[in-house]
Amino acid sequence: MISWLNFWTVSLIVAGASFVVITAIVTVKGFEDLRVMFKGLQKQQVDSDEL
Amino acid sequence: MNFAPVDWIIVAGYLTLSVAIGLFGKRYIGNVAHYLVAGRELGTFIGIATLAATEIGTITFMYNGELGYRYGFSAFAAALISGVVMIIVGRTGFIISRFRELRLMTVPEFFEIKYSRGLRLFTGVLVALGGILNMGVFLKIEGEFLTIVSGIDTKHLIAVMTVILLLELMYTVVGGMVSVVITDFVQYVLLSIATILVSIYAVYHAGWGSMVAKVAHTMGSAGFDPILNPKFGMTFLVWQILLWFSVHTCWQTTAMRMFSTKSPETSKRVMSWTGLIYLGRGMLPMLWGIAALTLFGSGTLRNGVPLPIVAGHTLEPIDAMPAMLAQILGPGIKGIVVAGMLAATMSVNSSYLLGWSAVISQDVVMPLRQLRGKPPLNSKHQILVNRIANLLVGLFLMFWGLYYTPPGAVYLYLNITATIFLAGAFVCVIGGLYWKRANITGGYMAMFMGAGGAIVPFFFLHWSENMTGFAAFSLAAGGLVAGSLLGKPPTRSVAPVSAKETI
Repeated sequence: MISWLNFWTVSLIVAGASFVVITAIVTVKGFEDLRVMFKGLQKQQVDSDEL
Repeated sequence: MNFAPVDWIIVAGYLTLSVAIGLFGKRYIGNVAHYLVAGRELGTFIGIATLAATEIGTITFMYNGELGYRYGFSAFAAALISGVVMIIVGRTGFIISRFRELRLMTVPEFFEIKYSRGLRLFTGVLVALGGILNMGVFLKIEGEFLTIVSGIDTKHLIAVMTVILLLELMYTVVGGMVSVVITDFVQYVLLSIATILVSIYAVYHAGWGSMVAKVAHTMGSAGFDPILNPKFGMTFLVWQILLWFSVHTCWQTTAMRMFSTKSPETSKRVMSWTGLIYLGRGMLPMLWGIAALTLFGSGTLRNGVPLPIVAGHTLEPIDAMPAMLAQILGPGIKGIVVAGMLAATMSVNSSYLLGWSAVISQDVVMPLRQLRGKPPLNSKHQILVNRIANLLVGLFLMFWGLYYTPPGAVYLYLNITATIFLAGAFVCVIGGLYWKRANITGGYMAMFMGAGGAIVPFFFLHWSENMTGFAAFSLAAGGLVAGSLLGKPPTRSVAPVSAKETI
């Protein structure tokens, strides 16, 4: 039981820390991705209008 | 009422912002690929945000909280498997990178490329049916959460959930995947903040030592060791591995994110990093469930676990976690958490509405038209059919979702309804991509036997979820192999499609 508890404690710390760190990174870098996505969608529309 | 005015202001502000930015997405919709897969323009970070937001909802918090309450730390095994399998799929690109190369928009579309239009139609019907039944319980469970935490009178539950569903429909119908992705980003940030806040509050109030002691006292070693736990055991663990491989590769809403990425490499990166989020997606709400057991688990025993008693009332285990939040969160924080949970609710529901309605329009309506000899619809009309399907799915959910109560643990109900089509679809996809001999006969047999293997044992023979899951996957695999060996050799092979060949 103790070994399982230790295993779950470590897993929980990894899970919690990953959740926090990835959220922080995605929050900052996601804005740039959104901007690029809008640009790409606009370009696709212009390209299809020209065809 | 548990809500202070500041909480209402936060929630109303969130809802207004969410709908406004959702409607903003409409301007980018020019063709059906924009509507369904955001023009395949998703980068890594926005891909992670939309995939995580799609698969983390209030329903996820509720069923994982229930698992934590009922099975203690053993439940963590389910979360660990879902995360690790996702990382493996991401690192190897198993199925997802081939899917992305094919420039698909729905999973059943693959069945026409590899097998036949008829099998695409049959799979489309099964996928839509299983998916909508799966989503059918979301509204009621989400409504329970909101009424318990906010303290709204339960007689207003239907009105509250109807308004939320209508708001989701508003931006999903007009802006499709583009609107869903933009709102998913905001909703992901909010729901993550709420998740982190609730985790801190739950452990602070219940106390880590008390939580461990409560699980040990109530469940003994079975509360920590998933192999010893009678509800889990080796059969559960193996079934979960199979199920999560199929979910991460063939579940329409997850697959749509992979189809929407810029490249197969981007899809692999998105899947790998989201795998780490999946660990927290499961374990953190399970931790809240254990905290709720520690604080409220003092009622009569049911299956060896005490029912929660809150303010003198006996609740169901699934309601213990929201009841705990209603008690431990203060004004302001409660508003942020409920806004976060609403964000989680809306991101999941909008993505699921789009996912299942896409299957109805692209894999049921379109093939039916073609089978009847009618010409294919142009992009504008396809979008219109998608929007109508979206509305109809929403309407169905409003009635089914608010009145139907699933039997047993919600997590297991969701697993079984998913298995109805996932077992056959997963096997057919693997066969179609990696086995040259897989043919139409095998495909039909896999889909029939996978669905039968889930429905008959669970609903008629009353087998456990684990054995039902095994039966479904085994029968589907047996069906594909037997059918493919007995039937004529396949005439179609799967080759990547170039961008110019598609919209």
